Amino acid sequence: MIGTIPLSEVLIVSGALFCIGLCGALLRRNAIQIFLSIELMMNSANLAILGYGASLGTREGQIVVFFVIAIAAAEAAVGLAIFVALFRHTETIDVNRINLLKW
Amino acid sequence: MFEVFAAVAIVFAALMVLSRNPVRSVLSLVVAFFALAGCYVLLFSPFIAVIQVIVYAGAILVLFLFVLMLLNVGPERPEKTGRPIQTLLSGIAIVLFAGFLLSTLRHSGSAAPRALAGEPNVLGRPEALARELFSGYLLHFEAVSILLLSALVGAFVLARRDREPRG
Repeated sequence: MIGTIPLSEVLIVSGALFCIGLCGALLRRNAIQIFLSIELMMNSANLAILGYGASLGTREGQIVVFFVIAIAAAEAAVGLAIFVALFRHTETIDVNRINLLKW
Repeated sequence: MFEVFAAVAIVFAALMVLSRNPVRSVLSLVVAFFALAGCYVLLFSPFIAVIQVIVYAGAILVLFLFVLMLLNVGPERPEKTGRPIQTLLSGIAIVLFAGFLLSTLRHSGSAAPRALAGEPNVLGRPEALARELFSGYLLHFEAVSILLLSALVGAFVLARRDREPRG
C-alpha cells in the first residue's frame, strides 16, 4: 500500500484543504476562526510540500515543513496575543465590529 | 489508507469551517490535524507526523482553546450583511478559484504520473533527517530559534495589561 500513492492525489487533497480554508477565512466573522482557517491553509501547503519531497525522494521537503511548523508556532503566539490585546480594547473579536483602521 | 486519512481530514476541515461555535471548530481541526499526521506517515515522514501531533494538535490548538476560554467568545450569531451582491460575488470567486486550482493540480499530477518513490525507512529516518538539518541547515535552525525567542517576547509585550493607562 505504501509507495503507491499517486502524486496527483496528494496534490488534490492539498488543494481541497486549501479551498476549504479559504472559504473559512472569507465566511467566518470570528477572528480566531479566521486564524484557524489560515492554519488549515498552511497545513495544506505542508501536505503538498511533503508529497513533492517524497515523490522526488529527498528529505528537503521534510526540512522545509519542519521550519514551517516552527514558524507557525511563533505566528500563532503573536497572533493570539494580538487578539487578546484587541479584546481588551474593543470587547469583541468580531471582525465586522473592529473597524478602527478602516477609514 | 491514504484516501481514508484524506477523507477524514477534509470532512473535519469542512466541519471546522461550517460550525459557528469556535470551541467546536477548534476540536474538529484537532481531528483534521491528526488525520493529516496519518497522511504524513504514509508520505514517509513519521518525524514530521509526530511534530504535527505534538506541536500543532498539542500545543498550538491548545493555545487557541486557552485564548477562546479566556476571552469567553460565544457562538457567532447569524447576521445579515446587507451586501448581497458582494456575498454572491465572493461565492462565485471561491468556486472559480477552487475549480482552477483543482484542475491545474490534477493536470500537473497527470503530466508526471508517478507513484511516490523512495524507500520509507531511508527517507523518513529521524537520525538522517537530524544529520541533514544540523549540517546544511544549521544557520536556518539558529535563525528560527531567534525568531521563536522574539515571538515569545512580542507575545508577552502585546498581551501584557498596561499598569498605568496612558493619555
